[in-house]
Amino acid sequence: MMNRWGWIFSLGLLCSACQAPSTHTEAYVFGTLVEIQIDDAPTAQGQRASNAVLARYQALHRQLHAWQPSELTALNQAISAGQQPFKASPLLRQVLVHAQQLSLQSNGLFNPALGRLIALWGFHQTPYQATIVAPEAVQAVMSQQPSMRALQFSPAGITSNNTAVQLDLGGYAKGFALDEGRAILQSMGIQHALINIGGNVIALGRHHGRPWRVGIQHPRQAGALAALDLPDGWAIGTSGDYQRFYLQDGKRYCHILDPNTGYPAQRSQSATVLIAPQPHAGVLSDVASKPLFIAPKHAALFAQQLGVAAWMIVDAQGHLSLNQAMQARITWLTAVRGQRVLP
Amino acid sequence: MADRGAWSACFTMMQWLARLKRGFQHIDGLLVGDWLTIALCLGLILLYWPEASLGQAKKCQIRQGGQVIGVYDLDQRRRISVKGPLGVSVVQIQQGKVRFSQAPCHNQYCLQQGWLSHAGEVALCLPNQVSIILLGERGFDSLAY
Repeated sequence: MMNRWGWIFSLGLLCSACQAPSTHTEAYVFGTLVEIQIDDAPTAQGQRASNAVLARYQALHRQLHAWQPSELTALNQAISAGQQPFKASPLLRQVLVHAQQLSLQSNGLFNPALGRLIALWGFHQTPYQATIVAPEAVQAVMSQQPSMRALQFSPAGITSNNTAVQLDLGGYAKGFALDEGRAILQSMGIQHALINIGGNVIALGRHHGRPWRVGIQHPRQAGALAALDLPDGWAIGTSGDYQRFYLQDGKRYCHILDPNTGYPAQRSQSATVLIAPQPHAGVLSDVASKPLFIAPKHAALFAQQLGVAAWMIVDAQGHLSLNQAMQARITWLTAVRGQRVLP
Repeated sequence: MADRGAWSACFTMMQWLARLKRGFQHIDGLLVGDWLTIALCLGLILLYWPEASLGQAKKCQIRQGGQVIGVYDLDQRRRISVKGPLGVSVVQIQQGKVRFSQAPCHNQYCLQQGWLSHAGEVALCLPNQVSIILLGERGFDSLAY
């Protein structure tokens, strides 16, 4: 009896030690932490692949930066100066066409044209600054209604019929980079990897024969709230008020603005979306969490409009709501309050 | 060492259960092997409960700019200075916990993250590019935040 148990115990110990080589790379790009884990590939190959992905990320960061000189800031200058059309690179044009489509699908709650307001609230600085904003200043921008509808794409280039439009791809670029990174790893022969850019995660293959497993950060505690499996090609993204925010007079101001008010969104602590495999899974994991975060009451509607498979929201009071698909996948790691399950 | 602890815990448990069994002879159908199995399971659960179920971490890893600075035992009193682009961040370890105790960054949010003690918990100072991760079985491979 003892012998049999002894064997099972030792086999367990052995198996945990005999895993194939993995590489784990961390770097700081897009103003956040990028983690790349690669499994079952020789260390040299894993390292080469991670470096290729990071090099691509540095290039994207330089091209799409919202306040340091980039192709995007050049376009923003051209828009505010009325010097149009702007001849954009194929990449920037493709990104903006897609962002415009997603903005419409989210009834304008994903609005990358609000750069002027984001700057006003102090988030266009490194490091960002707690800022006292005059209501008149917010109103001045809001009255001009900057939105993605203003952009027109013609063979001559990009035109905006609204000079208040200032593009900020903060809610799109990290997701786009997830898709790009996954494609680069695949093209370099990597079969199993996990990429995490500032908390947005995409899976490639599996982790030692089981699906990759991802924890979801608790918005008000140091640890994870829950965990779930992220199968091959799936992506997960969270918008929260606990990463880029400042406190002023006891009030929390986060970097995600409500396009209907021009003020930082106040109705949620975090919103998490899970996206099924598709060509833009990464982009959707980044974009789709915004409308749910800003308007948690309409989560089911926006989830459907944007193709979100499963979602979960912690509202401003710390109460949790989620859809059935999320409930079926999730394992709770922390006790949660007021759980409300929706179809 | 942990294994020896496990076996001796099991042995004590077995002795205790054997005595209990003598007192409850009317519980029929359980053989010695069954009692051994139960004792072994109980022993292992008791021994690994704090680590496996509560996820108390034993070590932390500190990185700066993505490079590993070191892996440190949490069972010690220690201050570790880490140099980043803004200056020196100080990481403090004591009594199984770790935190940022000083940072050169503007917002000081890394300090507000407070003490960490469970496997998988992470404290980050993005401006100074310093991360603390608590090692151990945390139940997942990466964190969506």
